[in-house]
Amino acid sequence: MTKKRKNLSRFFYHSARLILGVIFIYASYDKILHPKAFAEIVYNYQILPDGLINVTAIFLPWLEMLMGVFLIAGFWMPGTVVWCNILLVVYIGVLWFNLARGIDVNCGCFSTSKESSISIETILWDAAFLALSVYLLFFVFRSETSAGSK
Amino acid sequence: MFIQFQEKTSKTPGQQFLQSVWQCAAMFTLAVFLGFSINQFRDSRLPLFDDWSMETRLISPSGVRLDISLIEAKNLFSKQTAIMIDARPKGDYEKGHIRGARSLPWHEVDQRFMAVTKDISVDTPIITYCDGETCELSHNLTNFLLDLGFTNVRILVNGWTKWQNADLPIEKEDAN
Repeated sequence: MTKKRKNLSRFFYHSARLILGVIFIYASYDKILHPKAFAEIVYNYQILPDGLINVTAIFLPWLEMLMGVFLIAGFWMPGTVVWCNILLVVYIGVLWFNLARGIDVNCGCFSTSKESSISIETILWDAAFLALSVYLLFFVFRSETSAGSK
Repeated sequence: MFIQFQEKTSKTPGQQFLQSVWQCAAMFTLAVFLGFSINQFRDSRLPLFDDWSMETRLISPSGVRLDISLIEAKNLFSKQTAIMIDARPKGDYEKGHIRGARSLPWHEVDQRFMAVTKDISVDTPIITYCDGETCELSHNLTNFLLDLGFTNVRILVNGWTKWQNADLPIEKEDAN
């Protein structure tokens, strides 16, 4: 790889890392502030058993917050990008599933307010974030095998 | 020198896998620890387990049942004593709704509730509905209206489907 391509690749890596980091922090803070409202949203998706709704509403926003902070800090990148990919795939699956069975729920993607109901647009946004996340995954694991990292 | 460094720090796929697994596990543990400890000390603490059953959710904080049967709703509709409010998105409302129902989509409630409810007195019977047994729009709207001070708000669960199946009056027109 030429030095120019390498620099470009690193530029994309850092940009993707920072963009996703900000997105995850932004997505988590309102859910952390309003756990009851977020639990309602989790319930409305009609996927988890009742016993897991509050538990999920309590820890999931913190996982997103940690992912955001770690992405921005470039800390524990292998574990962080794996979580990013897992969560985004799960989110897309859940959105798709509820859209397919016609359940009209509040997205709860970035806030617990009545922002909007789920739609194809929501899925496309998540797919775009997943594309960034997959890029990070390849970058992190490729550079780890070739030269190691933190 | 560089080659030596590369040999020293590069990882095999197996090492990489292990590294990502322990980091994922550590992040999960940290998130669980942070979430549960902070939840424990906050004023609006969320209990670990709640009763999310439909029966519980259809009871108001004051202990009144919020759901209404189709027969009861039909009677109130016939006597023209109740106002029907459609909580579905405007597009669905325009495709068809209970005759005379007003449109107040849950996702636009903050912007539209004043216009829709300004001529309704607080004790007027209001029946909200959406579509589907698990639809939460009418439930959310009912709680919102109760919080605003309306005292007689009920939910016709799966209202739109039930109403059509019973061949009760519907109409298709532009939203209010």
